[in-house]
Amino acid sequence: MPGNIRSVCAVWAMLVCLVFCGKLTTVDAAPLCTNAQAGCHVLSLANLFDRVIQHSARMHGISNDLHSEFELYFLPSKNQIGRVSRNCHTSSILTPNGKENAQRMAREELTEVILKLLVAWRDPLWHFHQSMAHHHDFNNFSSNKSLEMSDMVHELRKGVQKVVEKMQMLGIISNSVSNLASPEALLASDSAEWRLMKDYDLLYCFRRDSNKVQNYLKILKCRIVPEHGC
Amino acid sequence: MMKKFREVILLLLLLSFVPHAEGTRYSLPGKPALTRCRSPEKETFTCWWEPGSDGGLPTTYALYYRKENSETVYECPDYHTAGKNSCFFNKNDTSIWVNYNITVVASNALGSTFSDPVDIDVVYIVKPNPPEKVAVTVMEDKGWPFLRVSWEPPHKADTRSGWITLIYELRVKLEGENEWEMHLAGQQKMFNIFSLRSGGRYLVQVRCKPDHGFWSEWSSASHIKVPDYFHRERSVWILITVFFAFIFLIVSWCIHINSHSLKHCILPPVPGPKIRGFDKQLLKNGKSEDIFSALVVSDFPPTSSSNYEDLLVEYLEVYIPEEQELILEESKDLHDGCLKPKGSTFDSDSGRGSCDSHTLLMDKCGEAKDDGRQTDQDGSQTGSEAQRQQAAWEQEALTYAHEDMISPDMSSGRVKTWPSVFSPLPQYSLSPLSQPSSLETAKQHCLSDSLFPPSSLSSYLTQPGQSTKEYVEVHTVNEEDMVLLHPVPVGHSHGKGCLQTHQGEDYSKVNGVDKNNVLLLQREVMEEQVDMCPCENKDANGATESYCTSSAQKSIPCIHTALPVQEEKAVNGYVDTATMFPLPIH
Repeated sequence: MPGNIRSVCAVWAMLVCLVFCGKLTTVDAAPLCTNAQAGCHVLSLANLFDRVIQHSARMHGISNDLHSEFELYFLPSKNQIGRVSRNCHTSSILTPNGKENAQRMAREELTEVILKLLVAWRDPLWHFHQSMAHHHDFNNFSSNKSLEMSDMVHELRKGVQKVVEKMQMLGIISNSVSNLASPEALLASDSAEWRLMKDYDLLYCFRRDSNKVQNYLKILKCRIVPEHGC
Repeated sequence: MMKKFREVILLLLLLSFVPHAEGTRYSLPGKPALTRCRSPEKETFTCWWEPGSDGGLPTTYALYYRKENSETVYECPDYHTAGKNSCFFNKNDTSIWVNYNITVVASNALGSTFSDPVDIDVVYIVKPNPPEKVAVTVMEDKGWPFLRVSWEPPHKADTRSGWITLIYELRVKLEGENEWEMHLAGQQKMFNIFSLRSGGRYLVQVRCKPDHGFWSEWSSASHIKVPDYFHRERSVWILITVFFAFIFLIVSWCIHINSHSLKHCILPPVPGPKIRGFDKQLLKNGKSEDIFSALVVSDFPPTSSSNYEDLLVEYLEVYIPEEQELILEESKDLHDGCLKPKGSTFDSDSGRGSCDSHTLLMDKCGEAKDDGRQTDQDGSQTGSEAQRQQAAWEQEALTYAHEDMISPDMSSGRVKTWPSVFSPLPQYSLSPLSQPSSLETAKQHCLSDSLFPPSSLSSYLTQPGQSTKEYVEVHTVNEEDMVLLHPVPVGHSHGKGCLQTHQGEDYSKVNGVDKNNVLLLQREVMEEQVDMCPCENKDANGATESYCTSSAQKSIPCIHTALPVQEEKAVNGYVDTATMFPLPIH
């Protein structure tokens, strides 16, 4: 008797799984196609923006957590005079420091700034994760976060590039935004500076930059597709 | 002279005052401290500080700040907009994502004191204003009301351009209560609250927060009253009904479980008839003939359980008092002499007849005695009358066996008083009244028991009394094959319980049995009186056993030695007629 019940339960569970998997696959089955091919499930620009903004928000959250942990464990003295002259390696990138400045900036410029920032942080975060993995002072949770952070930067850059492509396709922005060439060029020029930064400063700088990215993306979105949530 | 003296005194006074003042009143100002800096919309911000002691001298405060990666020190542009001890940074002076290093300096005439520097980034000190235009309305959803709360972001916060993203939270409570119910609304500007109390008055408040910043203050409370609705009452009634139905089910189930004991409590069962050895089913189902025949059971009264020996009377003691008057016995003797079968138990509700009554027995005996005297006077009639009476007895005795059970106790008294009835005249043995009452029948029953020990009629006669004993002798046998008896006067008494030999005419010897099954008795004159001796069964030529009183138990029947007999038959004096000459039993 229990054997019968078990077999029945197994069959029923399988059926349920099949139904659910079918439903899920129907949602994920549609690829993201930029060329508007026939039969493609096309995401709207607003949808793309929302996804990107969510991703950047999550990235910023992780960087904030890591920074707080660093402050707890290491407590660098806040009264250092030298802290004022902290120099993030991305300070060479001109970023708008106010709302008006950001709104005055053209969409293409803003988009470029975002991309520059994301590109600039890919390598430093990867190395930061490597150094954290070797450091036995940090627990596994922090190490996982740093890995996640570096992955997210990479993902976000790809996402933003997709948004730019979409915008260019829609004719919202001009094609002057260079996607591939300029990030590599920037990377080559700034390659040495970030190695001099200490871990704590690196985290501090990245936290700020992720906030910038998030904010700029929001501004872009509300400027271009203001219907939803602006 | 006096003027100089006055000047000196003044100088001295002044000199004394100056050091005194410096020591106690005037000092450097106390260290101020920056308490907080806040930005309401991420475009401007304000810093407040707490002044220290002023040192007795008028103190001025100044705020200096430095921006990140710049050595230029700027002073606060606006000390007044935000109130006392504050510094307001307007849009032009505010840079986001830039580290500010702010210091407050307190200075008085003696010097200045610097506060501890504070690093701030405006992004992380945003505390917006409370949401505005909070509106609460009551709406209905399928008859159930709910609250719809809507609001707007603070007008200063620019959410439309995406510069700030706010998340909202609201709280609700009933008027008069202390507990708030919190709801997180996210980025939406509208929220529904369900599960309201009918007729309740509610308070609603909303607040907001940027992604990374501080919660705003709660908005001013909005009051709303929920109207009464009918469903609530109905549901209460439904609940009550269900509850009582449940209780009712439980109670009825309990009663059903305990129905047996309840039935016993309320309606106790009627006790059934208690007749030992009698099948009750016959009373319910059988016919009347069956019932009556069942009552006349061959083994009734039940003898199967008890020993048969119990029923045999060991010996019957009959005594004739010395004087010709009734010997009143103690009731105690009566009870002592109660005939009880050995080993049998009495039923508790079996009745005891009038035979048990001592006085009644005496009365009856007295009457009987009188009657007997009267009958004696009719000399010639005695025989026939006696015969008649005896016949009546026998009949009674026989019929009596068919009647209802009589307890053996009834017979006990009779045995005792029987000799008193017998006493005066030998012929008196046939004393009974013409109308045999229940007492007489009982007596006859006793008598017949003693006469026919091995008969079907049971007898319970056992323990006789202690007084003098008398024997009963067979008088005649009538034509109906009945043995007529009369008592034999005692010659001399002794306690050995043996049969006494008596002289002469009162004893009869069985001569023989003729063709008509009549016991022939012969009178003889005994010349000698042989004393008793331990009785033994002695074999003689013919009849062997001596005639003893009925019991076949160990107590001592005596044997008389053989006496000369006129008859040819060498018979002992007494014959156990039952064995030698079996009488036909009716």
